Amino acid sequence: MTDFHYIGKETKRPAGPDKAAGKAHYIHDLVRPGMLFGKIKFSEHPHAHIKNIDISRAERLPGVKAVITAYNTPELRIGFLRDNFALKKDKVRQYRDEVAAVAATDPETAEEAIRLITVEYEPLPGIFSPHDALKDGAPLVHETDARGRARSDNVLPLRFHHESGDLEVGRSAASHSAEGEFSTPLVQQCCMGTAGCIAEFSMSNNLTIWAKTQIPFLAQRDFNRALSDMGLGGRNTRVIVPTLGGGFGSGLDTHTYEYIAILLAFQTGRPVKIVYTRDEEFAFLSPRQSTHTRIIQGCDSEGRLTFRHVEVLQDNGAYTSWGATYPSVMMLPATSLYRVPNVYFDSKLVYTNNTYCQAMRGYGNPELTWALESNMDELAGEAGIDPADFRMINCNEPGETTPMGLKVSTCGLKECLESVAEKLDWKKKHGKGKRRGVGMASLMHVGGSGRIYRSDASGLIIKLDDFGNANVYYGGIEMGQGLHTFLTQAVAEALGIRPENVIINPTDTGTCPWDVGTHASRGAFMAGNTAILAAEKLRRRIFEFAEELFPKEVAKNIKKLQKKDPDFKAPDFDVAAAAKRDRFELKDGFIFIKDAPAEGYMRVELGRLLRAIHFRNQGQMLTADVFYDPPNELPDFEKGYGNISATYAYGAQGAEVEVDTETGEVEIIRMAAAHDVGKVLNPQTLKGQIYGALAQGVGYALYEEIQSHEGRILNPDFRDYKIPGTLDMNFPIDLEFIETDDEYGPFGSKGVGEPGLVPTAPAIANAIYDAVGVRVHDLPITPEKILAALNKK
Amino acid sequence: MRINISFMLNGSEVVVEVEGHHRLIDVLRDQLGLTGTKEGCGKGECGACSVLVDGRAVNACLYPALEAEGRSVTTIEGLRGPNNELSTVQQAFVDQGAIQCGFCTPGMIMSAKALLDSNPDPTEEEIRSALLGNLCRCTGYVQIVEAVRQAAVQLRDKP
Amino acid sequence: MGRYNYYKPLSLDDALALHDKIPGALFIAGGTDVMVKIVNGDIEPSALISLRSIPELSGIKENGSTRIGSMTTISELIEHPKLHKRYPVLIEAARRHSGPQIRNVATIGGNLCNCSPCADTATPLLVLDAKVRLRSIEGSREIPIEEFFKGPGETCLSSSEILTDILLDPPQREARAVFMKKGRVHMDLATASVAVLLEMEKNTCRRARLAAGSVAPVPLRLSQVEELLEGNIISSELLDRAREISSETVSPITDIRATEEYRRRIVGIYVRRGIERLLKK
Repeated sequence: MTDFHYIGKETKRPAGPDKAAGKAHYIHDLVRPGMLFGKIKFSEHPHAHIKNIDISRAERLPGVKAVITAYNTPELRIGFLRDNFALKKDKVRQYRDEVAAVAATDPETAEEAIRLITVEYEPLPGIFSPHDALKDGAPLVHETDARGRARSDNVLPLRFHHESGDLEVGRSAASHSAEGEFSTPLVQQCCMGTAGCIAEFSMSNNLTIWAKTQIPFLAQRDFNRALSDMGLGGRNTRVIVPTLGGGFGSGLDTHTYEYIAILLAFQTGRPVKIVYTRDEEFAFLSPRQSTHTRIIQGCDSEGRLTFRHVEVLQDNGAYTSWGATYPSVMMLPATSLYRVPNVYFDSKLVYTNNTYCQAMRGYGNPELTWALESNMDELAGEAGIDPADFRMINCNEPGETTPMGLKVSTCGLKECLESVAEKLDWKKKHGKGKRRGVGMASLMHVGGSGRIYRSDASGLIIKLDDFGNANVYYGGIEMGQGLHTFLTQAVAEALGIRPENVIINPTDTGTCPWDVGTHASRGAFMAGNTAILAAEKLRRRIFEFAEELFPKEVAKNIKKLQKKDPDFKAPDFDVAAAAKRDRFELKDGFIFIKDAPAEGYMRVELGRLLRAIHFRNQGQMLTADVFYDPPNELPDFEKGYGNISATYAYGAQGAEVEVDTETGEVEIIRMAAAHDVGKVLNPQTLKGQIYGALAQGVGYALYEEIQSHEGRILNPDFRDYKIPGTLDMNFPIDLEFIETDDEYGPFGSKGVGEPGLVPTAPAIANAIYDAVGVRVHDLPITPEKILAALNKK
Repeated sequence: MRINISFMLNGSEVVVEVEGHHRLIDVLRDQLGLTGTKEGCGKGECGACSVLVDGRAVNACLYPALEAEGRSVTTIEGLRGPNNELSTVQQAFVDQGAIQCGFCTPGMIMSAKALLDSNPDPTEEEIRSALLGNLCRCTGYVQIVEAVRQAAVQLRDKP
Repeated sequence: MGRYNYYKPLSLDDALALHDKIPGALFIAGGTDVMVKIVNGDIEPSALISLRSIPELSGIKENGSTRIGSMTTISELIEHPKLHKRYPVLIEAARRHSGPQIRNVATIGGNLCNCSPCADTATPLLVLDAKVRLRSIEGSREIPIEEFFKGPGETCLSSSEILTDILLDPPQREARAVFMKKGRVHMDLATASVAVLLEMEKNTCRRARLAAGSVAPVPLRLSQVEELLEGNIISSELLDRAREISSETVSPITDIRATEEYRRRIVGIYVRRGIERLLKK
């Protein structure tokens, strides 16, 4: 299938005009009749016993409908390890711990009520670095685990480990080796639309929640469990997803504010809305985890990698989200980016009294690739080999099975590296110094979903109507990346109708089939594969019915023409005899027989045929539902082995920079990015994904960092948390897409939502090294760190 | 202290009762139901709430409602033409793929409009400078700049 | 965010009288700082008295010298047909002030009265030897801008005084000036900024004015550097010395935007580069 009608075209995003007109409705814009406004009282200590909470003054404030604490509501345990609580009892473990909440008739009253709540604390010593958390006698963040068993240290009971080959053999085979320690900071997703929800109960105690989520069905499961804990066992949650003002991983968990809204809605019997302000989002929503990585690699005299040793220490913060499983993705580049025969990977996650962390775009991959690709340049330097050549020597190839057991179906890494080298004029520019330099870095990532849950599936329903429209119900989330754009194209292409006849319905667990969530760059991969399967089912049924009905409709066409023109003569083609299911084709909304004369009257519009199917005796409406679980494996993470994804995405990025050695400032002159995307599904949305991710990568490299002091976040706003603006991104970005036509991807494509930010930071760091000969090991690369490194030189 | 104020909103006069501490964005979103203007930060850092006051882009989150008295305010809702038709700038954002999550889009479009109203033939540098007060986390700005460029050309070619 | 009343007096006298009458009332100009301080809970005024509707505070008048009404917005400064020719350093700084939406409402008076050490318009006004006129119920007074800033968040303005005008002498024909600002990203509060004005006679510096922002409790004149330069030929050694003195005489702090050490360094570099740039002009 290479002759596509809609795949590869710049189909426009279905919600684009509404978004441009200000008519798209985000959680901030939604109102329910009788709705109350919820607000949360957060802890004022990073680690303390709660002695007393006085809510009496808040309760007396006119307009306040409920004031809740852990002491007057059922206990709701939440989180990936169920170590978190919707409201905290006895002890707070981070500044953002929720100690009380109110629901009031307007936001101002809710805010005032929060100020009237007083909490008495008895402060406890806290731990604010993962290294301190590991020390003997460190205070325990959690005294017990979720089952009440005593804990003896701050290490999380999550093990991600890999060993393959023989590290000693690899070491002795190495002529050169390089060791480095690298760190990454806490980084905020910075969705332009902040987080929020509305919770509402029916009188039968079923819950409807409008949630800013990327995992509506896992959220449904979580909320149903909460209902059960509230004594409402057997009741159900319906999750409706409004327009999302960005996701970037922030919606991969259910959040405390959602449970608090649920508790408030139940207690008041009214809809309750909680929306975070920007400051709240920065201070009270989980950022990307911070990491410390120690890496040693060695190569032989020819530059072939002989071993790789990686140890990661992650600051989990006080509670555990899905983000704690970052090492499941870190393992991929650690074991499988470049060919390396002997590998050791280990990770350790520890509790601290810092803000707890969650997922963000790339999910551990940018963190690990930062260390790995910086260290690749260090090793190339040791070996005296050009870093571009060094990467080529060790480049992955299609058909490989990697030490982790990843089956590389297609791999365009070589072409990506060549593209970046060419775009940067590498041979001419690399190694010249003089404050200007070029650098590059590669990446690999899951490209065919990524199984970290027992089901990695997505379901999809297409309901055809009387007008030839395909009404699509899909549980994956459009959060700006263009999922619905591609879903439109995929259904149009696979079914054979026009994109304007594809209607994507709102995401709603009440109407859409189950979906594990929109993460792991799986959106387009899963949407495409499910769309293809559903379309096949429908085409089969349409063509079955057409055997009987199509000739009748053609006969009507001919009759009509004869009425107009008595001389009209039907061609010598036996329609009834040719009307066999395998001879039909459906394209652009018309059904025809493949080898019939190409006349207009030999075609029947789909809607007409569907009406014929509907309104005959014992008529039928056609609907297809499919459920697709991709051909990948849930790895054994303790052994670090298993083909986690159906296919893998590769890419490389490069930067040319100029460094001001007096001020330490870095100016990006240009960037190049080449990505193995399998197949370009929509050039415009694809470019948007890469440009946008790359900008996040630039922020990660140079500017972004949540700063905190003893657990308190010091820069909870855009005044002091800096993301790149228009003039910070004012340099040319040269994009190239490598098409490797993957057998598992829909229409040959691979997932590419995350890769664009994975190699950006090390590419820039490597360029800085090329320019001025110093390497900064800790992100972000601030001018002050460059000056400090230059000073040491 | 509640005060009636009147101002021109998207070409028509409106009268609203406001309190001293209300901001223009509160009046637009909560009282008048014009939710196209988004609140992204509440501190004038992100530009999602940009509207035009007497033709100039301002952050509605920092603009005291009472200062709108007697002025002319244009919001994203005011750009749409009759019969659900997008304006040239809005359509350019759709055409160029300049919209992803769309939360920054209304503010971005208002800043672009303010620029093009005063400078019909901006350079890329001028476009980027005009959009400096509008943050976007999705796009990396490339297609947004393209959209403004397209709109500029189309508006110049219009009779 | 608390509740407060909002008043829009139509004259200076009314504004001052209102302020006198309402305890806890604050004046508000463009509001881009005041409104943020309220959101942050840094201030809780009982009322805001807006200066926007007071005609005496707006407008730019020129007859030889220049009078800029304190309620002139940053955008109005930039767009003024003559100011950028007469006082280019002020306009350079105005252009680096935040983004368009803020510049369209933020005023030069508000920028000064907010008395942040990083006020972008302060350093150019310092090197231009600007004066400010202050009005209270008792009357008005004029003071050099240098004396206006007292400490972080503190000016010599009493709480019942209004800054009405910024006064600039006619530009000296030989004077050249430059403004430089360092932020973490392009749109940022200055981590350090420098304005340099030189009047040269051949190779000799006849007059020098230097000022720095974000490196002391207030925007600062670098008078020791001025003394070093004036009357001397600007040699490479002198430039090095100017850089050193600049770094040494400022008193920055370490905060989340930059360290003390880095701010000292940037001021020194910018002073040197600023002078070099002017010498090339």
